[in-house]
Amino acid sequence: MDLDKFKVHGEPLIYGAMISIALATIGILVGLTYFKKWGYLWREWLTTVDHKKIGIMYILAALLMLFRGGVDAMMMRLQTAAPEMKFLDAQHYNEVFTTHGLIMILFMAMPFIIGLMNVIIPLQIGARDVAFPRLNAVSFWLFFMGAMLLNISFVIGGSPDAGWSAYFPLASIEFSPTVGNNYYSLALQISGIGTLITGVNFIVTILKMRAPGMTLMKMPMFTWSVLITNVIIVFAFPVLTVALALMMFDRLFGSQFFTMANGGMDMLWANLFWVWGHPEVYIVILPAFGIYSEIIATFSKKNLYGYTSMVFSMVIISLLSFLVWAHHFYTMGQGAMVNSFFSITTMAIAVPTGVKIFNWLFTLRKGRITFTTPMLYTLAFIPIFTIGGVTGVMLAMASADYQYHNTMFLVAHFHYVLIPGAVFAVIAGFHYWFPKVFGFRLNERLGKHAFWWIIISFNVTFFPLFFLGLMGMTRRLYTYSEESGFGPLNMLSFVGAVGLAIGFLILVYNIYWSTRYMPRDTTNDPWDGRTLEWATHSPIPLYNFAIVPKVETRDALWSAKHDNIPLYTDNKITKIHMPSNTGKPFILGVIFFFLGFFLVFSMWIPAIVAGIGVIVMLGFMSFDKDQGYYISAEEVKATEKKLMRGETV
Amino acid sequence: MKIDASKPLEYSTEENSNKIFGFWVFLGAEIPLFATLFTVYFVMVNRFASGPSGSELFEIGPVLMETFLLLSSSFTIGLAVHAMRLGYKKATMVFMAITLLMGLAFVGIEIDEFFTYVHEGATLQTSGFLSSLFVLLGTHGLHVSFGFLWGVGIMIQLWRRGITPATANKTFIFSLFWHFLDVVWIFIFSFVYLKGLM
Amino acid sequence: MMKQLFPIRHVMGYLASLVLSAAALIVIYGDLSSSANMVVLLVTALIQASLQLFVFMHIGESADSKKELYLNIAYAMFVALVTIFGTLFIFVWGWYA
Repeated sequence: MDLDKFKVHGEPLIYGAMISIALATIGILVGLTYFKKWGYLWREWLTTVDHKKIGIMYILAALLMLFRGGVDAMMMRLQTAAPEMKFLDAQHYNEVFTTHGLIMILFMAMPFIIGLMNVIIPLQIGARDVAFPRLNAVSFWLFFMGAMLLNISFVIGGSPDAGWSAYFPLASIEFSPTVGNNYYSLALQISGIGTLITGVNFIVTILKMRAPGMTLMKMPMFTWSVLITNVIIVFAFPVLTVALALMMFDRLFGSQFFTMANGGMDMLWANLFWVWGHPEVYIVILPAFGIYSEIIATFSKKNLYGYTSMVFSMVIISLLSFLVWAHHFYTMGQGAMVNSFFSITTMAIAVPTGVKIFNWLFTLRKGRITFTTPMLYTLAFIPIFTIGGVTGVMLAMASADYQYHNTMFLVAHFHYVLIPGAVFAVIAGFHYWFPKVFGFRLNERLGKHAFWWIIISFNVTFFPLFFLGLMGMTRRLYTYSEESGFGPLNMLSFVGAVGLAIGFLILVYNIYWSTRYMPRDTTNDPWDGRTLEWATHSPIPLYNFAIVPKVETRDALWSAKHDNIPLYTDNKITKIHMPSNTGKPFILGVIFFFLGFFLVFSMWIPAIVAGIGVIVMLGFMSFDKDQGYYISAEEVKATEKKLMRGETV
Repeated sequence: MKIDASKPLEYSTEENSNKIFGFWVFLGAEIPLFATLFTVYFVMVNRFASGPSGSELFEIGPVLMETFLLLSSSFTIGLAVHAMRLGYKKATMVFMAITLLMGLAFVGIEIDEFFTYVHEGATLQTSGFLSSLFVLLGTHGLHVSFGFLWGVGIMIQLWRRGITPATANKTFIFSLFWHFLDVVWIFIFSFVYLKGLM
Repeated sequence: MMKQLFPIRHVMGYLASLVLSAAALIVIYGDLSSSANMVVLLVTALIQASLQLFVFMHIGESADSKKELYLNIAYAMFVALVTIFGTLFIFVWGWYA
């Protein structure tokens, strides 16, 4: 076998990455063995089917990927900080911006949101778990293995280098002969299947497992946003599945889908990619809207203004999100009629989004606002996201887009949308729900420090990019000449990027500091919350609720606290059915990882063996007779007593 | 586990009816999946480069046979579920076996068809049209083949464990999958073969 | 027993699907205009699909989730049709010529 194709040649940077990955792996393995944690890891995490633990694993993976994607971003800003920089060569710059985009959207924003979803949704609807706990574990492990597959590409074989949108013909085997884009098609495929399963799981959970009395129009807004998000996932991800499969066929088996000869059509890739890609934007942004809605209501001490219009605007956004995709390629060659149509649908999305913005503002109006860290992120989100939205409407005008297309203006626009729309939201949600999961709050002083660093640096980093775009700097440009005049603004942007990195480091330090020194929260409800997740203990017992609550109003807990509408009509604790842990999802994930890896390198025999392995594992899972187990009423009572006294269990 | 006797066995527990609902949602996802494959096919249908076009390639005989097999197997899996609801284990298994055998025959004819195409020099690599044809038919065929393996697994469970809430649930979900494949085939039959031969 | 095992609804559904498939053959053996042919294909395919959905898949049988199932199929059809016709709109009917 030709070992050469596994090697990535080049720079000290790559060797550094290899060494650090190897050292980190060895460190983890040695640490686990030394502290005798293998059993703990297997029992408590790798085999878990508990939605809370799966959620935590998603969030940990997302934080890890945030670091990886952030380092990519720093490298890019450093390389472009001054004219003619020699930090990265063109090839590595290409790889870095490709993986930055892929990781930030698919392996950071999505899992962070899915993680919060996993932890919070069952609690918010008063359920004991998701509808299919074991399938949930399958989802996580497929996502995780997909993410790992993409990450090893940096040191084994080379990363994808045709942009996160991997346009053909550049991404074809002819123009990208390395295995990089094979990794792209397979890593995304594997994690995409995981995401699709998550979508099905959460739709069923939300529609079928709500606490008695919680009608659809009494669901908390975060639950609503997650329901609609999962609907988009279920109907948009299959398109990506097909597009990636066709890409794989083109690259591995020489089919003619996106080729330039023999009847292939390179533009079809762009089309399919964005049929999925635009709904994907709303997949990461709608849950953020939900998180902000919860935070604004809680910290204004008011119920959410315009609940019904919030729901309807999200439904309309979800439908419109499937009708706008061609605005990503106005300049591709379709006629004026097509561009006009997609221009109008694109601008139409601003209407329901505007409705939401006004609803938040009206919720704030006359509220008793407390400026906690999550609330600060939310308040910063509104104006910054509006700038992103308004520049979006500018880009939506097809004729004007001929000027903006593929310039830094676009880059500035989508960072102005996605960072407040997804990153601030998950950070805010992380601070907001942290005490529920871990039983103590994050330090507010450090949190606010991080907030100001992040908010100010964000604007310093990305606002100059609008002007660079208007000056004519195209995106994905690895270097430029002194005479272009792009230097000063790029330097400013780099300074901002350093500030952002400092902000995120403070955030991480805050987690460490708070874990060591923050006092335990004994109230279970530190923010005076409104919805059911604050009605159970913190940290949350395995079964979530000893007695399933009964819901009569939208803000069920608030009504219980202030209007004397009891949450529990029946106080009898009975035995609780729980699903048993299983290692099969993890093993399935590992087999998928190898299947993907062998396909990347066209190693057919091992790939076939791994493929059979997948089918055999599915067979094992089908024949499984495990019916779960019961926690007896006595055990539940004992746990509850301990939790009441503030002991950990 | 609570069992609701007023409903058919396969819906009888909350978990079971959730599984059926969840599978419907999954089938909802299969619709855009196949729609995308059809999209690709429709865009590619006239892009046959130097290779053969649909009207040169397709033969109605085997296609009619495939259609007949799949329609009939959809009928028999419907009968299997009906027999299962009446509690006849043996009849259920016989109908399922007939269904799976017809599915297998279908896959056999399809493989033979693919071989014929390749012998005529029409391969996956020949043209955009052929790539999209092979992948559309292949994805459907793969679903049928996977369905065959799955169905065999369920039959073993039915045979060993009898008609229980769990096995009834699996059989019913399998029947949904099988009917859905028939729906997809109808569209392939109409808009790939018949339209190609038109 | 035989009568019990072969409910009339299913038998009729099956026969209807065979008849409809045969009827669709008119597009190759008949002498209709190509747009008439497309109408025939669309109508026969859609009726057959609904036969499967309503007769064999019992989509309407579960009272608790009937509405959700119809919405599910409707949303899926929306995305499917938008993908197919939107793409054709971009590449065929609306392409800059």
